[in-house]
Amino acid sequence: MLEIKDLHAGSEGNEILKGISLSVKKGEIHAIMGPNGSGKSTLAKVLSGHPAYKITSGEILFEGKDLQGVSAEDRALNGIFMGYQYPVEVPGVNNAEFLRMAYNARLVKQGKEELDPMDFDDLLQSKMDMLGMEVKYKERNLNDGFSGGEKKKNETLQMALLEPKLAILDETDSGLDIDALRVVADGVNKLYTKDKALILITHYQRLLDYIKPDYVHVLSKGCIIKSGEKGLALELEAQGYDWLTKV
Amino acid sequence: MTTTTTETANRPELAIRDLFNKSQSGNKTSPALKKFNQAALEKLEALKFPDRKHEMYTFVGTRELVATEFALAASGTIAKEQVDALIYSNSKNSCLVFVDGAFCEELSDISALGAGVRLTPLSEAIEQAEVSDYLLATVKDENDVFSAMNGALVSDGLVLEITENTTVDVPLQILYISSESKTPVLHCPRILIFARRSSELNVAVKFSGGATSCFVNAVQDILVEENAHITYSQFQDDSAWHFSKLRTTQKRASRFISSNAMSGAHLARCHYEMWLTEPGAELQLNSLSVLHKEEQAHNYVQIHHQAEHCTSTQLFRNLVDDKGRSSIDGTVVVHPGAQLTSSEQLINNLMLSDDCRADNKPNLKIYADDVKCTHGATVGQLNEDQVFYLKTRGLSEATARTLLTRSFAESMIQTAPSPQVAEDWRNVLLKKLGANE
Ligand SMILES: Nc1ncnc2c1ncn2[C@@H]1O[C@H](COP(=O)(O)OP(=O)(O)OP(=O)(O)O)[C@@H](O)[C@H]1O
Ligand SMILES: [Mg+2]
Repeated sequence: MLEIKDLHAGSEGNEILKGISLSVKKGEIHAIMGPNGSGKSTLAKVLSGHPAYKITSGEILFEGKDLQGVSAEDRALNGIFMGYQYPVEVPGVNNAEFLRMAYNARLVKQGKEELDPMDFDDLLQSKMDMLGMEVKYKERNLNDGFSGGEKKKNETLQMALLEPKLAILDETDSGLDIDALRVVADGVNKLYTKDKALILITHYQRLLDYIKPDYVHVLSKGCIIKSGEKGLALELEAQGYDWLTKV
Repeated sequence: MTTTTTETANRPELAIRDLFNKSQSGNKTSPALKKFNQAALEKLEALKFPDRKHEMYTFVGTRELVATEFALAASGTIAKEQVDALIYSNSKNSCLVFVDGAFCEELSDISALGAGVRLTPLSEAIEQAEVSDYLLATVKDENDVFSAMNGALVSDGLVLEITENTTVDVPLQILYISSESKTPVLHCPRILIFARRSSELNVAVKFSGGATSCFVNAVQDILVEENAHITYSQFQDDSAWHFSKLRTTQKRASRFISSNAMSGAHLARCHYEMWLTEPGAELQLNSLSVLHKEEQAHNYVQIHHQAEHCTSTQLFRNLVDDKGRSSIDGTVVVHPGAQLTSSEQLINNLMLSDDCRADNKPNLKIYADDVKCTHGATVGQLNEDQVFYLKTRGLSEATARTLLTRSFAESMIQTAPSPQVAEDWRNVLLKKLGANE
């Protein structure tokens, strides 16, 4: 589904990603861990098409097609979803209305008819029930004044509605208390089916107790310095990253 | 009479004197109105039309306007259907319609207003000492030449009295509509509202009409007596030149809440002159302008805190695209003795193009020591992080920008005093930005 080949990318002349290769197939869950500032969020942003980051060499193929030059909205419409580490607050834009616009944009792209507000509300309610979210999330403005945990829940809600083929969740677990983490993880597990793929960026083993990764990668200074199976996450949690970076 | 002022007057002032003479030749006018017109003309000639350095017109280029030779409008006709379409659904039986500056009884409907609202033509009301004293006092203190010009040329207007303890429970709409004219014409509509003690009124003023050669120069005077509450809105959606002056005087514990929207024009300008004269008066000014192409909308605000414990809050939002221009020139004067004044002014400008312009000139003059006065201004473009966030959810670049632009205006639209007014603003203002899908 996703093929990253020797990716070098950066911002304003600073190279942040220094040769990343990663292959994610349908049905796989990959976890990316690594110290602060190692480039995890940058990778997520490059994948979602952020204009501040330029690819200097290498390529990203999504379903066999090069993503270079594909706009952020087209990536989203084609099934790539990024859950933000720091979701953006958008005052003045009603959350439910925004969610309906996003949902309908996807339907239109698929050549289907838009959902009217009533039908959409039913759908939205069902997803919110699944994530244990109160009605206030509909009434409030998009992430405006949301707590850290509320923002992460709202990101998960968006993912639940948009049902992306590939979701990249950047520290969606940070800021969630243990109950919220369980609910969010359950939600993600329900959405995750064998024709989809997940990349989880996290610092904590805790999340990986609920969502079981097939592979764990360690990113350090813009390079993947180690890849392994889920046991690697446990080792990292016990020993930190030092034993890897000192090699 | 006063020949000295004429001698020093320039050509534009002479042109107004010419119009004045023509308007006075009609014999309908009452002696008291004639006296008022004359006083206002003298004021105009003393004030003179602004030159480029005029401090009240720092941001407003009036040269073209002053150079244009206007004729006084003869009242044209407007089809009833056209008016009906502009009357808000909740004001069908509580609307006053002015056509080309003159009150039109046939198109108005006051059946729902009740006995607590008294309407009198200005020419008749001005024979009462209270009305003429009030108006002559405004002339004496007038500082705006265009408002003086209205006074010199107004041939009739309307005086509204909301009697003591009356709550008008339907919103009153005042519609100023201009008919088409190929040549430059001038309208000088005027209303004067006395909101008596403990009365309550919701009034929505709308200036409408697409006449491209028309100069609407309006004055609204409102006296808000003790404990009276006025909810006021004004929507400028009219001709090439639009000037209006809103002057309020607020007594003890009165409240005046105003929400204005400007759609811009060749040159549109609102002048607010607000007097808080007794303790506990509360004033709120909200204003939104949405400008594109070469439209201009300017606000000139003077708030006078003359008594203690009064509050004033101002919130201005301007959305400027293309070669649009907006300006807010706002002064709050806290007069001696006006202790415990609370005054706030916030201006947010959203600039959508490289060629647009938005000027702010906030000014505080404080002559009391125990006061809380703040002002702030922001000027910015759309937040690119927000644009990107929306795009990563599948919204197109254009949709994302439109949504964010709309949300900037929407928060002000929600201050409109009724859903009908809000919808009207939305339809006109957001449509201009292609933002009303
Ligand atoms: N737009 C940018 N311009 C310049 N430097 C940047 C930019 N974005 C990120 N960086 C730098 O790139 C490095 C990687 O940042 P990134 O946010 O990807 O780290 P991270 O692995 O997600 O860290 P964390 O665990 O703290 O979230 C950091 O040193 C950061 O300061
Ligand atoms: Mg990060």
